[in-house]
Amino acid sequence: MNSFWTVVGFTLKNKFRAKAFLITTLIIAIIMTIGINLPYIFSQFNSGDKVSQIGYIHSKSAEDSATGDQLKAYFEAQEKSDIKLVPYEDKGSVSENEKQLKQAIADKDIVGYLQFGKMSENGFPEMTYKSEKLMAYESTSPIQSALQIIRQGTILHDAGLTAEQLALLNAPIEIATMQISATDGTTNVDDGKSLEQQAVNMGLVYLIVVLLFMAIMITGQLIASEITAEKSSRVMELLITSVSPLKQMFGKIVGMFLVGLIQVSVYVLVLIINVSLPHNNKLLEQFNIDLTKIDPKLLIFAVLFYLTGYLLFATLFAAVGSIVSRTEDLGQAVLPITMLSLAGFYISIFSITSPDSMLVKVSSFIPFFSPFVMLLRLGLTDPPVWEICTSIGILFVTIYVAVWISAKIYRTGVLMYGKRPTFKEIRKAMKAYKI
Amino acid sequence: MNPLKVEGIVKQYGDKTAVNGISFEVSEGEIYGLLGANGAGKTTTMRMVLGLIYPDEGQILYNGKAYSNNELRNLGYLPEERGLYPKVRVSDQLIYLGQLRGMSKKDADKNLKKWLDRFEVPEYYNKKVEELSKGNQQKIQFIASIIHSPKIVILDEAFSGLDPVNVELLKSTVKELRDTGTSILFSTHRMEHVEELCRNITILHRSNVVLKGSLKDIKKQFPKERVILNTENEITGLNQIVGVTNVVRHEYGYEVGIANEAVGGDILRHAMGQSTITRFEIKEPTLNEIFIKTVGGDSHE
Repeated sequence: MNSFWTVVGFTLKNKFRAKAFLITTLIIAIIMTIGINLPYIFSQFNSGDKVSQIGYIHSKSAEDSATGDQLKAYFEAQEKSDIKLVPYEDKGSVSENEKQLKQAIADKDIVGYLQFGKMSENGFPEMTYKSEKLMAYESTSPIQSALQIIRQGTILHDAGLTAEQLALLNAPIEIATMQISATDGTTNVDDGKSLEQQAVNMGLVYLIVVLLFMAIMITGQLIASEITAEKSSRVMELLITSVSPLKQMFGKIVGMFLVGLIQVSVYVLVLIINVSLPHNNKLLEQFNIDLTKIDPKLLIFAVLFYLTGYLLFATLFAAVGSIVSRTEDLGQAVLPITMLSLAGFYISIFSITSPDSMLVKVSSFIPFFSPFVMLLRLGLTDPPVWEICTSIGILFVTIYVAVWISAKIYRTGVLMYGKRPTFKEIRKAMKAYKI
Repeated sequence: MNPLKVEGIVKQYGDKTAVNGISFEVSEGEIYGLLGANGAGKTTTMRMVLGLIYPDEGQILYNGKAYSNNELRNLGYLPEERGLYPKVRVSDQLIYLGQLRGMSKKDADKNLKKWLDRFEVPEYYNKKVEELSKGNQQKIQFIASIIHSPKIVILDEAFSGLDPVNVELLKSTVKELRDTGTSILFSTHRMEHVEELCRNITILHRSNVVLKGSLKDIKKQFPKERVILNTENEITGLNQIVGVTNVVRHEYGYEVGIANEAVGGDILRHAMGQSTITRFEIKEPTLNEIFIKTVGGDSHE
């Protein structure tokens, strides 16, 4: 057991001494910090008074400019509008008006202007928005929706509705949802997960699934590439004559797991520190996250599936890493495992809105997918206990088998050099070695 | 009881027999030479001794006991293909390897410093392996195999890639280890090293043992077939003596091939009649010649 921890310690120490690792961690932490503070940084830049001014020709005689006035009144009535219409005096001729408005754009008084044509069937005149920008949807779409509301208001007003009736018509409708267990015997009315609880649980499931996937992809690759590197630098011959291969393999897996865990902890810490900065307080309130609403049972399952899922994939990565002799060949060799974890990840992520589909049910029993998918079911639905037990049982058996096979392959693979051995060669060689 | 006893081990890879019934014993404070051409089965034999591969037949005993993981601590191995972590500091990885073989960190550190001083390179303690020259990496590799003071050391091609000064340094270290009672299994292609270091040898050829025994006995088995003759004046008619197989003229004199030892006397008498003799020697066959004769002979088939 002693030399096992020596391997773990050595793995950890080397990783944290490696500049590449430290720099990567630092860069990701910085990107996270920037990402979290980005909304705040942006809000500092457009501090309120960034209003696009849009010009139009206001003439008392013409009917069309009434629309311009209506729009102006509408946007002024809005509490916080980033569009403001500015009337310009009618100069008498179209070309004169055009010139006047163009001058206004050149002077940066307005960003563009609306030109009205003849009356159309929809109750408004034909309109052209002219500006120096390409595809100026950000200006035209608020105008469009404003006109829609203006029209609605006019028609309803003409129909003789009172202001109260209007307000009633626009009042939002809400339905509360609660996720319950149909097989659960309790008759308590409040039993079940409220919307907030669901949201928090979904968030947790999402987080764990992503973390697990990241851990598998990053640390799995690291395990495989470190073993291959040890093999290609031939230090492996010294290692296997110093410590039993099984201890060596698991030392590496556990060491890498701790590396990943520490890395993730750093990120989580950065996240917490940044979110709890005073200027980001509002943000947190907006999302309405109450961490006390996490189901403790789900948390335990999350940790369990995280550990088992990691162990299962890590042993496979170690086995593959031990077969390959050169780092260049590694990418291709780990592809099947990567695909496997990718499949589990995607099934879980894409089924987050339909956690009761057949695909989810079936794949929650398939060992390579179950760490992702069963967790999804646990978080979002209430699967029967026997299904949970079966899934975990299958997973454990698979891990046992995977560990045994991986240890065998590892023992054999580390001494095989040259081209990537075929399955037949591995099987033949496996008989020659004892774990 | 000898620290290492190999009894008729056989190893087959599929249809191919890699090692076919090798037996030898290495006593305490002995350097045992394991010789053979490339692919003769030396590395496979060494790996079996190290417990990396299990022999199909036969057994290997360590102080009379069968292999177990505990034996790893008594074994030191210098692999033919050198390998250390290129980007890890010398001190870190050697202490690590020492710890893996059951040493405390402190002892490993102490031993490492002792050996670095012995090899006159104490400044490498904090260097990364990739910064060192190949010959110096070799020294570090050598330290890695003996840092835990093993009882049995297996040296595969110990002196390859070293300059003559460092070969002498390492050779004297190996002798020191021998004198402190370490059993050493030694393999090399440099026969003069074997003649200098080994008491007993085994020559392998195509998985089989072709020669085995003490160096002295082996040499006796081979007839003395060469005469070195240095004279002041030219000698003529050496070819005509019965039993002379060939005559090669060198800068310093003659090298004469003979069919048996008795011919030597005839050559001497013949030469004395013509000139003053400065040197006359009936040479023992060198191990190099013996090796080529036993192994090289039919490898040209």
